[in-house]
Amino acid sequence: MNVSPATDVPLPQPDLLAALPRLRRYARVLTGDIHRADDLVQETLARAWEKRRLWTAGTDLRAWLFTVMHNVFVNERVAARHEARNVSLDDDGEGGEAWQIPVRPSQYARVELIELIHHVGQLPVEQREVLLLAVVEELRYEEIAVMLAIPIGTVMSRLSRAREKLRVVFGQVPGAGASLRVVR
Amino acid sequence: MNALPITDADVNAFVDGTLAPARMPAVEAAAAADPVLAARIATAQRHNAQLRDAFDSWLTEPVPKRLIAATAAPVVPRARRITPWMQMAAASAAVLVLGVGIGWFGRELTLQRAGTPTTFTREAALTHALYATDINRPVEIWAAEEARLVRWLSRRMGFPVRAPDLNSAGYALVGGRLVAGNEMPTALFVYETPEKQRLTLQVRKQPVPGGEVAFRYALENGVGVYYWIEDNLTYALSGNLDRAQLLTIGRVVYGQLAAMEAVAPNVAPAPSVAPSVAPSVAPIAAPNLAPK
Repeated sequence: MNVSPATDVPLPQPDLLAALPRLRRYARVLTGDIHRADDLVQETLARAWEKRRLWTAGTDLRAWLFTVMHNVFVNERVAARHEARNVSLDDDGEGGEAWQIPVRPSQYARVELIELIHHVGQLPVEQREVLLLAVVEELRYEEIAVMLAIPIGTVMSRLSRAREKLRVVFGQVPGAGASLRVVR
Repeated sequence: MNALPITDADVNAFVDGTLAPARMPAVEAAAAADPVLAARIATAQRHNAQLRDAFDSWLTEPVPKRLIAATAAPVVPRARRITPWMQMAAASAAVLVLGVGIGWFGRELTLQRAGTPTTFTREAALTHALYATDINRPVEIWAAEEARLVRWLSRRMGFPVRAPDLNSAGYALVGGRLVAGNEMPTALFVYETPEKQRLTLQVRKQPVPGGEVAFRYALENGVGVYYWIEDNLTYALSGNLDRAQLLTIGRVVYGQLAAMEAVAPNVAPAPSVAPSVAPSVAPIAAPNLAPK
């Protein structure tokens, strides 16, 4: 579809609605707080409508919304740093409930998933962001690099570090214990 | 086969299924020869599946209403320069175009947007726009019951109200209704031509007793309004007519009312008199009271 980006095409609302659950998930991974996450989604949608001319009709709306959300989040974080010096995501305050899951997983023990997701919550935000986009959203590294405006090498290294940490804290098959580590 | 060492990038791409097909055999061979690498790959693959499982569970959670609402195009008043009057004009224009009676609540809303208090002419033009465009029910009591209409309005207004006969000007009485003005109730008469071109005449008491005002003209949102004050009563004749046409009819109205007053003071509706007496009041060239 060749649509002039200059024309004022409204964002397709059905696609926005369809993207909502994924936007909320991304926001939750970024903020580590379910309430702030929804605020971030709302802010993202407002920005998206404001900047709708920057979206080219026919291209992946979800990826563009992710980009908008990333930018809104980064800007807010920069602004927040001027006020509060450091917001620890490890705080057992509001952030605690963000990393809970309400699932009955099919293949894995619920406890194991809860533990994994908790460990993801301990990762630096830059790493868990890339982890979500690459692994869960299954975006290509090149796409992620463009979205986050970082070199592809940085995408790779963040992903590697995230994986390494998860492997260290969560690598063992439950019950297999330390013996596996000796083998390695 | 391939001497290139296996990098982190290779492992990531292999695990995430984005490795170039040409590179696959090298990684597979390396994993077969190196249990540590094999375990690392297996762990990452298992974590991938678990992460998808865990995070996908969030997707089924109910989405708050405010976020659903936020997907709709925002209604932002871009131009801050829009004045309440322009909003009212827009609202009235919409009413004119639609030609439907949105009734009292619509009027209330429109007045609210316009901001009160509003001048009598503005109110008159607005009232005209709202009722004259109502095809089916512009009035509460129809002309067929003119005597009853006049009696009722006179009682409600607290003074004898008369409906001038404008047939000579080509306008037949449709009927009338009571309208709640900002400060005073207003009696409204609706007239129309055979082509359904409508005129309204509004009468109300002066909130503050005060001087006589000769014919004044104002163009309010495309509606021409001639108004005058006499005997502490304010009259407004409104219609989508040009100024000269409206003035002609205004003189007829004025003349008839004066004649009725002379014939039957303080007595409810007298039969209409031929419209021959033109008011001697000047000036006709009135200041334009259109909005600033």
